[in-house]
Amino acid sequence: MNYDFTEAELLFAGEVEKAAAQMPLAPASGTFFSNAEIKAALGLLAKTPYLAVGLDKSAGMGAVIHMASMESLASLAPSMALCVEMSTRVFGRLLAAHGSDVAKEKVLKPLLAGNLVGAVALSEGAMNVENDPFSTQGLEQGDGFSVTGAKNWVVNAPAADVIAVAGRVGDKVAFFLVPAGAPGLLVEAPATTMGYEAAPLSGLSLENCAVPRDMILGPFDAKTILAEARELENLVLLGLALGAMKSAFGQAKAHAKSHKSGGKPIIAFQEVGFKLSEMLTMLQASELLAFRAAWLAEKGDKATADVLLCAKVFVAECAEKVTGEALRILSGAGWTGTGPAQGAFRNAKWSQIAGTSTEIARVKIGDSALGYK
Amino acid sequence: MDFEFTREQLMFKEEVIRFAKKEIAPRCAEHDLKGEFDLESFRKMGEFGILGLHFPEEYGGQGADVVTTVMAGEALGEAGVDGGLTLAYGAHTFLCADTLFRHGTEVQKRKYVPKLASGEWIGCMGLTEPGAGSDVASMTTEAVKQGDKYILNGSKIFITNGPIADVAVVYAKTDPTAKHAGISAFVVEKGTPGYTTGEPLKKMGMKTSVTSELFFNDCEIPAENLLGQEGMGFLMAMETVEWDRSALLAPFIGSGAFLLKKCTDYAKKRIQFDRPIGKFQAVKHRLAEIRIMTEAARGLVYRIAWCKDQGRPLNHLEAAVAKLFVGDWSLSPSNDAMLIFGGYGYCHEYDVERVFRDSRLAPIGGGTSDIQKMIISRLM
Ligand SMILES: Cc1cc2nc3c(=O)[nH]c(=O)nc-3n(C[C@H](O)[C@H](O)[C@H](O)COP(=O)(O)OP(=O)(O)OC[C@H]3O[C@@H](n4cnc5c(N)ncnc54)[C@H](O)[C@@H]3O)c2cc1C
Repeated sequence: MNYDFTEAELLFAGEVEKAAAQMPLAPASGTFFSNAEIKAALGLLAKTPYLAVGLDKSAGMGAVIHMASMESLASLAPSMALCVEMSTRVFGRLLAAHGSDVAKEKVLKPLLAGNLVGAVALSEGAMNVENDPFSTQGLEQGDGFSVTGAKNWVVNAPAADVIAVAGRVGDKVAFFLVPAGAPGLLVEAPATTMGYEAAPLSGLSLENCAVPRDMILGPFDAKTILAEARELENLVLLGLALGAMKSAFGQAKAHAKSHKSGGKPIIAFQEVGFKLSEMLTMLQASELLAFRAAWLAEKGDKATADVLLCAKVFVAECAEKVTGEALRILSGAGWTGTGPAQGAFRNAKWSQIAGTSTEIARVKIGDSALGYK
Repeated sequence: MDFEFTREQLMFKEEVIRFAKKEIAPRCAEHDLKGEFDLESFRKMGEFGILGLHFPEEYGGQGADVVTTVMAGEALGEAGVDGGLTLAYGAHTFLCADTLFRHGTEVQKRKYVPKLASGEWIGCMGLTEPGAGSDVASMTTEAVKQGDKYILNGSKIFITNGPIADVAVVYAKTDPTAKHAGISAFVVEKGTPGYTTGEPLKKMGMKTSVTSELFFNDCEIPAENLLGQEGMGFLMAMETVEWDRSALLAPFIGSGAFLLKKCTDYAKKRIQFDRPIGKFQAVKHRLAEIRIMTEAARGLVYRIAWCKDQGRPLNHLEAAVAKLFVGDWSLSPSNDAMLIFGGYGYCHEYDVERVFRDSRLAPIGGGTSDIQKMIISRLM
């Protein structure tokens, strides 16, 4: 047991924080980050081992310090953190684990260098929350597959260089690596969203889109690979939720210490000071639970699935509470200002609904305790 | 950062669970209903080595580290040992014996610690007073030095193990004009003239731990019964906070696992609307809540234990966070458990009702949740 980070880990976290501080909060022009802007952010991170964590052993940094660094990144540059993590930790890790040598050379290598933006297309319109069954499917054609289908809510899709599209191959599931501009791929215009507003997110459709065999991950047993993808996504959602809490709490605390009422800082009033104490308690409990979930996942421990779902529910719901309370403390300063709390409040919702939704997660935790399924 | 327990720690935890399930848990309901302390179980805990786990072997202990000691507490909760007995153990070992071990003279240590570690003697700690609860510095129990004696006058309230304790660590003012700096700690033995205890208080939960007042009426004790130096009492009491925020919270975490097991067994067997209630999503959600809160509490408590093992001074903010979380957030599992059992959960026959009552002490004892919030907001 060890509750400390090593000096090397702290140094690394500091570098990530510095990189994050240079990232834009909003696009230079337009509403959504462009491919070039995301690559610029990835480029900053590529100077550290950040992009390689979980993808390449040479990173030398583990899952727990990555979770802590993701928290910092998400607190400083939330929309960009979502773009970076969906590209790196979901798309990238699937590729690193299952890609062919060709795919690794063509896609993973530039991704690790910060020169490629990835996206993962899972959700479909008429699908249950288990992502099962897909209507998108790949049919064998020549030396590859012809993919047809449609996907919803794909983070990074409008800015991605390559999209990993999940679809059926018989009764199995594969990820088809589809490059931007591929004939038959139609990426919709980015949707306006409640949170993470600068992260481009859209639906897409594929019509007989040809994908060569070496650009396919799988096919796999559907349950196993979807659980793996969900695990990767849930881990990212934890880091994002921690970041939302950290930034909102930080702003509220600073305000409570500097803003005066009746001649004393408002933190001196129990109504405010006690609220902040509860918020910090939620933040610290969330951090430790998320760290442990990341640590278990890295070890491949059999407790990972349950603890990760517990963390998903707890951290995501604490994020909504903490960011909401921050706005109550900030009051007019939160409603009107440019500080992070109001954005964090909107962003916090995403960690509940994306990945395994908190309601489904509860059912799964209950099933596991009961020994059902 | 890593959260790995050693193989030895995990094996020891399993051993404690096995022992407690076999020897102690079957006796808990009966003693809880009667509101009686279970001396036999307490002594068995002594024989097994739990009561003195962290003391060096030469003082009757096993030299365990803090993390292992916390695991033992978690194991007791997980095995279904009632909160009253684990509270009695907590007050005895950590609030009384540990203070004697840390601050007693060699003679005092040799005299008291082995007897307390084995369970031959029972210990208690008297800090709280009728007029001084959260605000301990306002205590009025006084110790006046007269020659080679101290004369104690005053009273204490809510003292766990009070009526059955052979030895008490008692805090009193040696300088009534000072606040915290005027508090000193003393050892007082049962039978000392002028020292009496009240009738056991009738409580909502923790019924197998006996709680009472302590009275000091011109109670004369030898001057060597002063622990450490005059004016150091408050600091000594604060040192016990490290245990209070780790080992004393551990059984609450363990009881989360106990509740989950009880509830899943019940939810699989209880049939309503032609199916086990475990098939209903709302019931699964409650089971999930129990697991989630238990998982969330664990890291905070073990962090305190691990830091203590590293010999670090207590981080008061982290300690208050752990206490606040276990105190407030961990109330929900016992509520969820009771609801899963429906009407049966409201009846004494089922353990969940006892856990519900016992868990209500978590936001009160050892510093209320409000006081934790006060500490956190001041330190942040
Ligand atoms: C079963 C049991 C066992 C115990 N065992 C022991 C023992 O072995 N030894 C021992 O010394 N003591 C023991 N105690 C005492 C326990 O530590 C106290 O009950 C506790 O510290 C609270 O003190 P109080 O009950 O006087 O409440 P009070 O201090 O009177 O508090 C009453 C209420 O006011 C709130 N409050 C007080 N001050 C503030 C403030 N500044 N800001 C906001 N809110 C505030 C409190 O949170 C609480 O809600 C035990 C208590 C119980 C119930």
